[in-house]
Amino acid sequence: MARTKFHVEVLTPEGEVFNDDVEMIATKTVGGSIGILAHHQPLLAMLDPAELRLYRSESETVRFAQGEGYLQVAGDGSVLILVEDAHDPTTLDTAELAEQLRAAEDAFAKADSHSEEQRVAARDKRRLEAFQRIAEGG
Amino acid sequence: MAQRDVKNRIASVKNIQKITRAMEMVAAARLRRAETRIAALRPYAGAIRRMTRQAAEAAGDVPALPILADRDQEQRVALLLVTADRGLAGAFNSQIIRAGTRTGDEYTAEGRQVVYYATGRRGVSSLTFRNRTPEQGFTGFTERPSYANAREIANVLTAAYIDGKVDRVEILYNGYISPMSQEVRRETLLPLQKATILDEQGAEGEQEEVGGAQALVDYEPEPEEILARLVPDYVEISIFRALLESTASELGARMTAMRSASDNAGEIIDDLTLEMNRARQAEITQEIMEVVAGAEALG
Repeated sequence: MARTKFHVEVLTPEGEVFNDDVEMIATKTVGGSIGILAHHQPLLAMLDPAELRLYRSESETVRFAQGEGYLQVAGDGSVLILVEDAHDPTTLDTAELAEQLRAAEDAFAKADSHSEEQRVAARDKRRLEAFQRIAEGG
Repeated sequence: MAQRDVKNRIASVKNIQKITRAMEMVAAARLRRAETRIAALRPYAGAIRRMTRQAAEAAGDVPALPILADRDQEQRVALLLVTADRGLAGAFNSQIIRAGTRTGDEYTAEGRQVVYYATGRRGVSSLTFRNRTPEQGFTGFTERPSYANAREIANVLTAAYIDGKVDRVEILYNGYISPMSQEVRRETLLPLQKATILDEQGAEGEQEEVGGAQALVDYEPEPEEILARLVPDYVEISIFRALLESTASELGARMTAMRSASDNAGEIIDDLTLEMNRARQAEITQEIMEVVAGAEALG
């Protein structure tokens, strides 16, 4: 049976990547995986790099590799997702990701422990690892 | 000048004109795309601003984050100069370098230490040439900066600020007004001002009410922790906006520079054509005179 639909907008700094009605959203917040259906309670959540799945219907899913971001459920049940990156998983280049990951690991190793520099490298590493998993998972 | 020489010069000026026309056209097409990208950032920046306000309201206040701290002593100042990888764009690069070094010299005169950062090959090489070698250069993307580029720069500058290597960060870039005009803008990136973040007018003027502020909103994690990530996003967004505006300004400046170069070439071609006609007429006159003189001699 078809579920109730609700409106979702996905924005990145480089423009809008999705603006349509869906039945369900699946993504990951800093607390863990989350699924959102229609009439969800108002929410403001911080998103971690992961795969973002937007279910237009049971058979039709739009997928993105999301960077860090935020998810907001408004009082009317509509959802706004802001993410720094939103890539089509099929365009991710595993070789390039591996190279960037190596650079991030180098930076992490070189930085002083507990410095902001090291924290930044760790964040980059986490995002790249998540993207790599999505690219490999197909 | 002989007729043949003038002809050659006309041909070469015409070639130059073809190139400058083509560059003008390319810049104009890219400029339209750059303008679209500036517009595309606005909804995102506006939404980040609204979320920050909502989280700040829930938290009661913006927590004391390291990037918000004003330091009593601003001993070391970082200047980020946003230039282009390429030249041929009028005063685009030089006006940033000039404003940047002037600002740096003022700080030095006050007894402060200045650390330069630059985007664009032009900025990096000019600063190096002027003995102000940048601490770090970011190059290879100025024709089409991505958010990842802005994030990289923001990370470097924020880390330098938090780790205490600099006490203040300023950015100098060409703000985009129209294809014909840019202005040098100088803004403070760090420390961030609370007032900037909670600015009620919101640069975009969107006054949409956040879905029932009275309704019970779940926060995951706590609003304070969300703010700890939202606030640094302002630095990334400010840098990204500056990069996008700088790109649009660069293309506008190049378009204008190439248009005047094409116009100039046109004038030179007109002058040379006139000169060539004169030379041709002089040659004809010369020949006629020789023929007449010869005929008279025979007569």
